[in-house]
Amino acid sequence: MTLAHYLRIWLAGARYSIVRTMMFRLDFIMWSLVELFWMAVNLLLIGVIYGHTDSIAGWNKHEMILLVGSAMILQRLTMGFFWSNLFELSRNIRTGHFDFFIAQPGNPLFMVSTRKLDLDGIINSFVAIAVVVYAVRQLGLQPGPGDIALYVALLGVALVIHYAVILLTTSMTFWLIGAQGLEGSYFTVFEFARLPKEAFLRSAVLNAIFVWGLPAVITSNIPASALLHGLNWGHLAWLAAAAAAWLAVAVMVFNRGLRRYSSASS
Amino acid sequence: MTAALAKYRHVFAVGLQSNLVYRWNFAARGFFSLFHLIVVFVLWRAAYEGQTHIGGYDLRQTLTYFVILLPLQFMIGAFNEDYQVSEEIRSGLINQFLLKPVNYYLYRFSIFAAARCVSGALILLPLLAALPFIYDSLTLPDGAWRLWLGLPAMFLSALIQFTIAYCFGLLTFWFLEIQSFVILSMAVEVVLGGQMFPLDLLPRWLYDLSQYLPFYYQMYFPAAIFTGRLDYAATLQALPIQVAWAVLLLAFAQFLWRRGLRLHTAVGG
Repeated sequence: MTLAHYLRIWLAGARYSIVRTMMFRLDFIMWSLVELFWMAVNLLLIGVIYGHTDSIAGWNKHEMILLVGSAMILQRLTMGFFWSNLFELSRNIRTGHFDFFIAQPGNPLFMVSTRKLDLDGIINSFVAIAVVVYAVRQLGLQPGPGDIALYVALLGVALVIHYAVILLTTSMTFWLIGAQGLEGSYFTVFEFARLPKEAFLRSAVLNAIFVWGLPAVITSNIPASALLHGLNWGHLAWLAAAAAAWLAVAVMVFNRGLRRYSSASS
Repeated sequence: MTAALAKYRHVFAVGLQSNLVYRWNFAARGFFSLFHLIVVFVLWRAAYEGQTHIGGYDLRQTLTYFVILLPLQFMIGAFNEDYQVSEEIRSGLINQFLLKPVNYYLYRFSIFAAARCVSGALILLPLLAALPFIYDSLTLPDGAWRLWLGLPAMFLSALIQFTIAYCFGLLTFWFLEIQSFVILSMAVEVVLGGQMFPLDLLPRWLYDLSQYLPFYYQMYFPAAIFTGRLDYAATLQALPIQVAWAVLLLAFAQFLWRRGLRLHTAVGG
């Protein structure tokens, strides 16, 4: 299997997703509005809190918008490219429809991860980008092409962590067939991504668990800090190491689950 | 009257049994809610740094508000009642209720009440486990009246929450897919119901306006009574508005039910 072959498969899936979305246009508009509303809710929270204070853990209002905007970009891209696919993975394992993916001509992990695109998530990632651009302008930052490339690269690495966490939680279904709603833990974990990591410094335990242990906080903080303060090699290594480690664990769990899978059909 | 009530008592008992089957799901949901509480604690502690009061309330009062919200959500919140109603309409299961002397609203409300009894009891477990860690951050106001007025307000909030979910479920008579409507309205309810932040932190004019909307009475109102964000006079002033919303929503649910049934087609034997 060559890279070109996989690209062709992905493009076929993307084409199918676009055609399907255009068939259910009202549904697409409604879901886009849903995501837009939830992003607005998060921004409203920032507006309300900063109506009563000037700083949260050393981050001013527009720095906080930049942080939350970065978290939003990551979540929208995750929703757009991976969520539906991996959410369905759990269901397919339970029902036995996962057989269909094993029988396809390609790597099973690639096939289960990339079959569908959710256009509403992808469209709203542009809204999240606009939020970041707004914050950058309000802060008076003037990032050059190198700074923007670094920010995008860091978001790309952080996206790997988002993907790995969903893959890991959904792959647990191979063992916990009856446990529904495991996928929802992704949202629980990444709620922390909207907080500045300095806010955890007051408690060594919380800092150890939520900044160093779970990978959510760094996914948004490191790209946003890079845009604010420039490249920090230590941060870059930290994010890359976390992405590599979480992806390796997730792929290992998926592969072990794959070996365990015995179908559910008659 | 007693015979009529007996029907729904049986439905409640069956609802209790079927919801106990999902006790681990509720317990897991309660456990995950503690993570949300950690986010809230970290965020608001950081926001209070360098100042003692925000919106006239100290840190402990604000954290208490969010802690009280948690059991309230599990005791009076609508979880998936809209989907249950929607599914019964879509699959045709609703037809059986059209042929029996059972009021569909009361049937579903009995199941809702049973489900909230189970989830409300189960949320106390993770909350009790967390209590030693958060106890010092909590403060509850004095006044027995808060209990006597707070409990009826809580019941009315449950009624409003359920009836709104029921109305969304009934939309299935007109629309095949209601999920996006539900999640869209959830975003509005989370903000204007005070689940994202205490509503009294909104600009004054917006807070005053919110008191005339049903969302205010879904969660914020009982939470504000219990945590001291509303005084006696303000509570007495708001209670009739809450009653009015409950009555209005019940009437609207009845209206949707009657209009919806006109569109409904039952097929098969």
